[in-house]
Amino acid sequence: MPDHRQRLKRSGLTMPVVTERFINNAWHRGCDYINMDLEDSVPPNLKDVARNLIKESIRVVSKGGADAVCRINHDLMEADLNAVIWPGLMMVNYPKTEYAHEIRRMDEIITRLEAERGIRPGTIEIGANIETAVGVANSYEIVSASTRIRDFGGASGYDMSRDLGVEMFVAFDQFVYGKGEVELTARALGLTPRSTPFTPNITGSVSDPDRAFAEADAARKCGFRIGGGLHPNVVEPQNRGFMPTDEEVADAHWVLEQYRQLSHSSDTWIHTDDPSGQPPIIDRYEATRAEELLEWRALCEQRDREKNEAIARVRAAEESQ
Amino acid sequence: MPANDTIRRSWLLVPMSKPERIAIAHQAGADVVVLDLVEFVAEADKPAAREAVVDSLTPVKAGGAEVFVQIEPDLMLADLRSAVWPGLTGIIVSRAESAEQIAQIDATISALESQRGLLPGSVEIVASLETAPGNHSGYEIATASPRIWGLTLGRADLIMDLRPEPSGEIHLMQYLMQRLVTIAAAAGKTPLGAWWRNPDRGLLATPDNTRAAAQRGRAIGFKGSFCVRDNQVGPLNQGFTPSESEVAAARSVQQAYSAATDSGAIATVTHEDRFLTPDIVRQHVGVLTLADACATRDMFKSAAVEGRPVPVP
Repeated sequence: MPDHRQRLKRSGLTMPVVTERFINNAWHRGCDYINMDLEDSVPPNLKDVARNLIKESIRVVSKGGADAVCRINHDLMEADLNAVIWPGLMMVNYPKTEYAHEIRRMDEIITRLEAERGIRPGTIEIGANIETAVGVANSYEIVSASTRIRDFGGASGYDMSRDLGVEMFVAFDQFVYGKGEVELTARALGLTPRSTPFTPNITGSVSDPDRAFAEADAARKCGFRIGGGLHPNVVEPQNRGFMPTDEEVADAHWVLEQYRQLSHSSDTWIHTDDPSGQPPIIDRYEATRAEELLEWRALCEQRDREKNEAIARVRAAEESQ
Repeated sequence: MPANDTIRRSWLLVPMSKPERIAIAHQAGADVVVLDLVEFVAEADKPAAREAVVDSLTPVKAGGAEVFVQIEPDLMLADLRSAVWPGLTGIIVSRAESAEQIAQIDATISALESQRGLLPGSVEIVASLETAPGNHSGYEIATASPRIWGLTLGRADLIMDLRPEPSGEIHLMQYLMQRLVTIAAAAGKTPLGAWWRNPDRGLLATPDNTRAAAQRGRAIGFKGSFCVRDNQVGPLNQGFTPSESEVAAARSVQQAYSAATDSGAIATVTHEDRFLTPDIVRQHVGVLTLADACATRDMFKSAAVEGRPVPVP
């Protein structure tokens, strides 16, 4: 069950912080978060330049209501953290996490920088990205290493496929075991699992809106709440795909109505034959799912309002200048 | 191969709060009747349900079934006190989460066995790994007590909120099933479960879907599974029993292998274009052994139903 006190992360764009055009246009894309990259998309000779751009870019990318996130380099963790932990940052993504001591060290540094820079203690999340076999093997210790890790998943994607020497775009789930391990870890430690149901992908397209919608839709129906991508085309389909439909909202109210009647009896479930595609069994599990759906829908609407208002404010300010 | 050759293919869960269900539970043909104090009993009905267990243990066995009681760790003491009486075969621990919890349950059962005249160590445990911590600690749980006979995922799909994927598979279940089967084999315990697919809510599926889930489940190593409806019992018994064609094929393999290796000159042969080694043949013999054991179990249950003297296995 997702923890709804967390920030919403349905859609997000990852972009090199050194590409000014991307950074300057990110704020009006409608993302829940913007992931400013210092890692793979930044060439080694620009790492230093990139670091020095983060503090200002946090303000630029988040002015339309998106949360600012930064992906640092695994091997440059300390220098990168020093450059990115500023007010307004929501989360640091740490790629290729392999050991608990890496996360403990990050937590110490972030804790010190939060204190020095006037950020409320414990604000900044750590995204411990599992992208190697070693990371999978140590996932339980990694997640146990810091309370800043609030959602957890991985063990798939480009780096994982390279680490394991498996194909990236195939018609079957090549990461069943690793994904299962990290998801079980997340769930065992009470974190929101960051996962998706498997959908065959042999194209590797980063900009196909239909695929983005289908994946987000399947993820939502499977109970997952976190998305993200590389191309502006996928933002709106992800926001839409993660939002429960009006029909699902009506279904949820119907389920809860049935369940209320059940709770006055000595039965713990009822079998319904409602022809409209309702779940045929009503019990406390279906009721919990229905409640969660309604709560999630309200949060999505609230988040979309926040972003729309922020974008409108920026536009109004720009026009008045 | 099963850790234990006891045949327990169908486990019929009956709510202890429903006397009318208890009264007919012996007629369903289940290998095991599970008197439930957890999932299917409304909270307000639990005290009365517990009190009714002791008088239900014998009647539900009239059809030759064994009897287990399903308890929950949070209410362990009250549940076990109501359940551990002569005639009980075992306890299902729902939402099992740790080795310490199993050790406590083991100690409580031992005390009750001693007070109530049951053979020490006779009450078995099936641990139901229905939560994420329980699955994570699966091996420690499986090896926490010599009473542990089997492991199951119970209602993990619902309790862990695992929902259907577009493929129809329930998210994460293939991983959890294989993990459970592996842990069970490593610990020498029996894995119980069936491979359900959307839209089946496992315990309440149609007879046909139950049979298919049992057959798929047996193919990945499960030895029996749970159900709630009487009409699922037959499909589970069938699905977990080798079919006639499987038995015929196994017999043919065994005969071909014996004939080919009779001379003692070779140990590997090809039969119907398949490679046979002594271990492969042993697996086929296992199918025959299982089929025989299932037939014996069915004979025992028929005799019990008809009130005939029960054949000694």
